[in-house]
Amino acid sequence: MKAYFHSFAVLLLTTLPALHAAEKPPQPIATLIEQNCTDCHDAETKKGRLDLTALTFDLADPKGMERWVQVFDRVENGDMPPKSEHMKPEDRKALLAALESSLQAASTVATAQNGRGPMRRLNRIEFEQNLRDLLALPHLDVRDMLPADRESHHFDKVASTLDISHVQLTAYLDAVETALRQAVVTSPAPPASKKTRVVGKQLGPHRTTGGVESLFYARDGKGFDLDSKNWAEPKETGPDPNIEFALFRSPGWPYAVYPYVIANATGEYRVRFSARSVLQTEGFLLQKGTRPVPMNFRARKPTNHDIAEDVRVTGGIIDVQPEGGVYETTVYLLAGQTIEYGMLGLPVPQIDAQGKTGHYRYPPLPEGGQPGIAFQWLEMEGPIAPASWPPASHRVLFDDLGADAKSAKPAEDAKRLLRRFIALAAREPVPEEAIPPFEKLVLDALQNGAPLAEALLAGYQAFLCSDLFLYLREPIATDDHFAIANRLSHFLSDSRPDAALAILASQKKLRDPATLRTETDRLISSSGFERFVNHFTDCWLNLRELRRDDPDIRLYPEYRLDDYLVESMGMETRAFFTAMLRDNLPAASLIKSEFALVNDRLARHYGLPEVTGSALRRVDLSKNSPYGGLITQGSVLKVSANGTSTSPVLRGVWIMDRLIGQHPPPPPPGVPAVEPDIRGAKTIRELIAQHTKSKTCATCHAKFDPVGLALENFDILGAWRTRYRGTSDGERITGIDRAGHDFAFTLAGKVDASGQLADGRPFANIHDLKALFADNPRQLARNLLHQFTLYATGTPVQFSDRPDIEAMLDACAEDGYRVRDLVHALVQSPIFLGNPKP
Amino acid sequence: MNAPHISTASSHIPRRTFLRGLGITLGLPMLECMTPVFARASQSPTPKRMLVIANNLGVLPKNFFPATTGRDYALSPYLEMLAEVRNEFSVFSGLSHPGVIGGHSTDNCFLTSARGAFKAGFRNSISLDQYAAEKLGQVTRFPTLNLGVNIEKANRSLSWTRDGVLLPAEDSATALFNRMFVQGSADEVKKQLLRLKQRGSILDTLNTEAGRFSRTLGSTDKARLDQYLTSVREVEQRLQVASEWEQRPKPVATQPAPTDINDSKLFFEKFDLMLSIAQLAFESDSTRIVTLMVDAFRTPVFALPGQMDTTESYHGLSHHGQNEEKVKQLEAADRQHMALLRKLIGNLAAKREADQRLLDRTMVLYGSNLGDANIHDNTNLPILLAGGGLQNGQHLAFKRDNNKPLSNLFVTMLQNMGIETDTFGSNAGTLNELNPA
Repeated sequence: MKAYFHSFAVLLLTTLPALHAAEKPPQPIATLIEQNCTDCHDAETKKGRLDLTALTFDLADPKGMERWVQVFDRVENGDMPPKSEHMKPEDRKALLAALESSLQAASTVATAQNGRGPMRRLNRIEFEQNLRDLLALPHLDVRDMLPADRESHHFDKVASTLDISHVQLTAYLDAVETALRQAVVTSPAPPASKKTRVVGKQLGPHRTTGGVESLFYARDGKGFDLDSKNWAEPKETGPDPNIEFALFRSPGWPYAVYPYVIANATGEYRVRFSARSVLQTEGFLLQKGTRPVPMNFRARKPTNHDIAEDVRVTGGIIDVQPEGGVYETTVYLLAGQTIEYGMLGLPVPQIDAQGKTGHYRYPPLPEGGQPGIAFQWLEMEGPIAPASWPPASHRVLFDDLGADAKSAKPAEDAKRLLRRFIALAAREPVPEEAIPPFEKLVLDALQNGAPLAEALLAGYQAFLCSDLFLYLREPIATDDHFAIANRLSHFLSDSRPDAALAILASQKKLRDPATLRTETDRLISSSGFERFVNHFTDCWLNLRELRRDDPDIRLYPEYRLDDYLVESMGMETRAFFTAMLRDNLPAASLIKSEFALVNDRLARHYGLPEVTGSALRRVDLSKNSPYGGLITQGSVLKVSANGTSTSPVLRGVWIMDRLIGQHPPPPPPGVPAVEPDIRGAKTIRELIAQHTKSKTCATCHAKFDPVGLALENFDILGAWRTRYRGTSDGERITGIDRAGHDFAFTLAGKVDASGQLADGRPFANIHDLKALFADNPRQLARNLLHQFTLYATGTPVQFSDRPDIEAMLDACAEDGYRVRDLVHALVQSPIFLGNPKP
Repeated sequence: MNAPHISTASSHIPRRTFLRGLGITLGLPMLECMTPVFARASQSPTPKRMLVIANNLGVLPKNFFPATTGRDYALSPYLEMLAEVRNEFSVFSGLSHPGVIGGHSTDNCFLTSARGAFKAGFRNSISLDQYAAEKLGQVTRFPTLNLGVNIEKANRSLSWTRDGVLLPAEDSATALFNRMFVQGSADEVKKQLLRLKQRGSILDTLNTEAGRFSRTLGSTDKARLDQYLTSVREVEQRLQVASEWEQRPKPVATQPAPTDINDSKLFFEKFDLMLSIAQLAFESDSTRIVTLMVDAFRTPVFALPGQMDTTESYHGLSHHGQNEEKVKQLEAADRQHMALLRKLIGNLAAKREADQRLLDRTMVLYGSNLGDANIHDNTNLPILLAGGGLQNGQHLAFKRDNNKPLSNLFVTMLQNMGIETDTFGSNAGTLNELNPA
């Protein structure tokens, strides 16, 4: 037996003899189960592999608890018995009441004994952010040095799965070493800042990929292509300021398009450039653009396109306007990197093996011209010097010792600086008794001849890899304000408490509801809140997999290599979720809202009136729009499909599990495997019909298949469709895609999105389904509370937490279960604040 | 082989030291690695190796399993591709891990046989490779290598510690190659040794400090802290051994450094590359134990050699529902698995070590946690074992409706490695009919 459970069992055995001894369920549970359940769930029939006559009533054992909670839930929600008339209502009521009180008592005892959950290791995202904030290194990048963290319930925040092994610990040691090295400076002055200005042919490459139309230089609005002999090269020897560099494609391998600027040292650089949006018309002519064209910069090494390397977007999206102008942004570059142009949403020509030339075919210019951007000049200046030297990161480590960290009294300074650092790094006061092991390490190193800086770094490294730094714990006493502060900051900003919050903790003010509320509001409004939004939606809605499946180019040529669309879908959902919290929207906005947040590309995707520019903005939706609410956003519909087809089963499970919070049970192992034979099945609906012919399957599938069916009007990326696409049967559609390739697909069978929910309520389409779901905002709010609880505390909602959750829902009911209210309710609850021992 | 000898004065950690400061007495197993490792290495003169390959979507069962049994069994359509090497491997039917059900989540249990993978509160147990490494001690530069193809590193692995903690797989061929073969300069070695020494002091500190000043801990907290301490102790031990190895020159590579393939579409190219890394590791005696999880489940639309790309993800194909087009693509993929296996067995047979073929000293286990991915069946697993000097060339068939534990085979493999044990995981006996007469 493994140590983990062993210790757990031993403890409970000794402290809870009464519960442990209860092998058989107490009355009236035993009799009610015998009367209502054991026809199927006995040793002989053992339906669903459940034998209730053999299931011991040992609620002190977490596994036993788990099983009996499952029994309770399935009876409560009416799954069991399968035919509800098989159980008298008064029996059901009596069984549930008795079970509930037993489970409640056992769960409460367990929580009182051990807290709601164990201490939790920081995951790699939090660990990196802690180091960034502590060391004043906002660009520190050590996340990928650490092994990805395991997930459970979709989150990498769960205490019981955030294990540690020698592999992880070694990685923490390495990552901390790297971080500390980056915090230290050795030169007496910052690296010199330099300004480079490029014009003419320095603005881009001297050969093109992707066809002549992709990029060329132009003078007086007339292009000359560098690849073709038909165009004369400019005679000028020096750069010609009258030349414009015009770009009409988005990145995609092969691609290497950047100006002749380079970062001498790692750091932030200011980039200014003059550009205008243009239209390319026949004959490589530039006309004034009619709408802004969005672009960004990508940090990369100035190599050719064949080198596999990291390419990172930096500096945000810039909309270049037809009127032209000077644009400015700040980028972060590693030494030796340049800034590549990233046009958003333009064609991505690919090598065309079938084409006559065997090279690239740029898609036909659209009527009126192909949008793009023409650049006149570009300046890059940097690295931008820090506000002081040595920089803040260095002073965190060595205070006022200067760049060389030399001291006349090394031993004395070592003791002082070590204590100073530990006080800065620890998220709560560290008692003096904890210091000696670290002090010994530093002093021994000094003794052995190490320079003061090296000796200190060893001590710092040890502290940052110690359990004092690596773990977060439950609040355990009424005065445990630091644990509350840590929990709050790791909840709403994925990092350590900032100075203001730490001060409130030291003043023991965090159990004051008004203060706690103000702090919660402050964190929600802070810039660090973006980290919560990104990480939470990455896990909850699986947005981290947004780019997982490339759309099948045979069926969906219009989505080929459209990174801008996918990027915009992620932005939309994150902005919408941010609004749910910051604007305190009702929980029903998971399902419907009267507005959408869209940019130019999304408006087109959703068939809304045209908008210009890359920035998301609020657009009111008409009554008959199928959009509005998380459930019909492109991102959600993409991650719940597979790039080729949509499966009502998978989408249905996805929606029920993540948005509605009714988790479909895993396929029951006791059911004999039915081999589906779907030969000749023509539409997905028929497939499902066959699928649900087996009664055993249907019991569960009825809960999610219909939900997926209602979403069949949305294709793999969430665009509205009324007919399925195919490769052979149906009306043939042909054209040339964004990569310059011919495509052909067919419009096949009609979509039928009607059905009925498991409880029998029918729906004709997505509008009806939304109305049905929105009808139960309490369940939507409950689900959000469950997800927030898991994220904030690292432990799922326990049975003993359920009354607290219901109380929070009661409190939020009157105002329509608004999301920010739910967060406040949770933060003020004993679930969040802990159940301190008296 | 001369076992290297190192001072074990400090690597031998008394149990009391390790539990000091916790103030708890847990029912910890007496770990083998607490005894000096190199002492045990000398007991096994002939190096024995194992490579375990798990393809977590398996293969189409009807094309894989032979219809007849015994020595003269008739090759199945897939095994026909291995006809040339039929005497180098044995094929098994009717094997599975008892109680290991739960569809795709069972790949993590393929080498552990721990039950209940899909249940809440599930905890894995030690995997075959880690168990073997624990018993063998660190006789090579790396106790084990844990490789992956297209693997979802955070959540899937064949390798698990004694505490049931996932050990992430490595998927960069270049990084693995560098670790095995790229020799630092004398100066770099000196620096590295110094670094290891400094790290040793840091770990000493952590060992002394850990948990001393945590406030009142619940039992679950204590278990977490214990896991942390175990990690500290294990890193400490590995450092000791690493210092010894750092001073020994690395072997010379017989081929240039590989280039990583990052495109998960090139699934089979990646698979092939990882197999060649495993071969290099064995040839250079960098390790004796390699695991390789081929994460087909995680593989998107992929390239079939000489054909069009598949029409959907590997997982999508695996639920073929007898759809002809899907079955056809799956068959092509399965055949490519067999082709790579054929190549691997051939390569290992062609290499010699001392007076034996490398294959005779290397067991290659190929298998899956799924008997039939189409219906998520975790029984009747496709299992094939090559090499190791075993009595190969057989089809050992067990009851399809009452499978033998796969761990029986694992115990036979452990014994073949020279490890004296008759239990592992959920075994009930061995498959010693494979042992040479």
